[in-house]
Amino acid sequence: MRKSLSVFLTVLVMLASAAPALAETVLEKITRTGVLTAGTRTASIPFAFINEKNEWIGFSIDFLEAVRARLEKKLGKPIKLDKKEVTPQTRIPLVANRTIDLECGSTTYTRGRDETVDFTINFFFTGSQLLVKKGSGIKTLADVAGKRVGATQGTTNEKALRAQQPRADVVTFMDHAAGFLALEQGKIVAYVTDGILLAGLAAKARSPKDYEVVGDFFSKDPYSCIVPENDSKWRDFVNHALMELIDSGKYFEMYDKWFGEKGVVAYPMSAQVRNYMLMQSMPE
Amino acid sequence: MMLAGILGLQYEFRWSVLWESPYGYWLLQGFKNTIVLSLLAWAIALLLGIALGLLRTAPWRLPRAIATAYVEFFRNTPLLVQLFFWYFAVPQILPAGPVRDAINSLNLDTPILTLNFEFLAALAGLGVYTSARVGETIRAGIQSIPRQQTEAALSSGLSLIQVYRHVLIPVGFRIVIPPMATEFLSIFKNSSLAVTIGFAEVTFQTQQVNSYTFKGLEAVTAATLIYLAISLTIAAFMNRMEHRYAIPGLIARGAVRE
Repeated sequence: MRKSLSVFLTVLVMLASAAPALAETVLEKITRTGVLTAGTRTASIPFAFINEKNEWIGFSIDFLEAVRARLEKKLGKPIKLDKKEVTPQTRIPLVANRTIDLECGSTTYTRGRDETVDFTINFFFTGSQLLVKKGSGIKTLADVAGKRVGATQGTTNEKALRAQQPRADVVTFMDHAAGFLALEQGKIVAYVTDGILLAGLAAKARSPKDYEVVGDFFSKDPYSCIVPENDSKWRDFVNHALMELIDSGKYFEMYDKWFGEKGVVAYPMSAQVRNYMLMQSMPE
Repeated sequence: MMLAGILGLQYEFRWSVLWESPYGYWLLQGFKNTIVLSLLAWAIALLLGIALGLLRTAPWRLPRAIATAYVEFFRNTPLLVQLFFWYFAVPQILPAGPVRDAINSLNLDTPILTLNFEFLAALAGLGVYTSARVGETIRAGIQSIPRQQTEAALSSGLSLIQVYRHVLIPVGFRIVIPPMATEFLSIFKNSSLAVTIGFAEVTFQTQQVNSYTFKGLEAVTAATLIYLAISLTIAAFMNRMEHRYAIPGLIARGAVRE
């Protein structure tokens, strides 16, 4: 339902609303409506997910909140954050047709995608790995040749998997929750996505110790927010929001909240990534 | 480019992604899988549906109750939910062991398609769901025949089976050809939901083209045209059926070709 329907709806919305929307920039639109419409995910732990109390939270959502706060300060009026669910298949069309002003979830910045939409600077680093049941004997990508391996359709991970292990039988799922269930049931022997998300899936499993994340990164997945193509004022605005968070140290507090020892998924930041984040922030 | 300009989109169309290698091949594969899945599911739906429709009109209480329960259950729950049920829940009913593992991890290459549990679950889900709808259509067709015809046939000495064989089925089945055509069309369109359980039909392949090329508008247009072409072909075929088997003098407004 979700995917085919939303793709078709996207096209309909495009046809219906594209022309008038183009006239104004995102900042002009937010000034007019007082609403920041953001796309994000619902099962990308801990970036954007729905917890047991049915709250939609996560690292990416904290960042969206920071963008909203910066908008309020700049525009001098209250701004509402309207969160919309996106999937890997819908996030690019929905930004391209301006249904959403930006997407922050767990989206990898690729040059191919950059031709259709724009990306902000990176807010996270990870790469493709394998999640397997302990004792499966699978240690690297080479071990899954001829075996059924799961991935989420339309992700960079799926492409990396198909390209680097063409002998695997790839089974695709709509979201990580379905992929993990398939792994649990033995429909697949390994599930592939970004290492951080795999750690998140395992942490949320009924018995986390039965699963392990294995193998080296076989793709590079730097996360960025998606913003519409050719609206550099808006991209600057979001970039500067992130730079301010990095400079003030709030970014690292946010990181700790979600990925620290007491976070949802323990994934300590390496010195290399810390340095990279600091370098991404330009002087005022 | 022209179209994009008219729509006010900042988007560059590149229609060649639809036939360039390997994307054109992917779409063909998807088309083939859609056809195979839909036709096999239709066979299941037709067989089960006819049995259900007949039982629903039969004068035996228990079979009728079972058929009614089946129809109401499968007709009144979303197909998407049913697909997830077949895919994720049904194998888990089996006790944990080698049989269940074998079903879950089935992966057999055949000349037509890869036989895996994704395909079987989609086939079962689509076939069973549609069978409930076909059953209702058949029941409606048979019940639309005036009761007096059954009574007349019975009083002329025919047994109940003979009444079905010579009176109810020949008339009832012809009356329902148009709504049956709709069900037949629906099964092709509903087969697109199989993408949600990982079956590589045409919607899946258009999404693959989209994710590899970021040319989503072209890919969705291709999917639309493929489904439209399938539907129009079937509609034309079913129209011929309708004319060919129309009952002269009965609901024949423009339907009968002399």
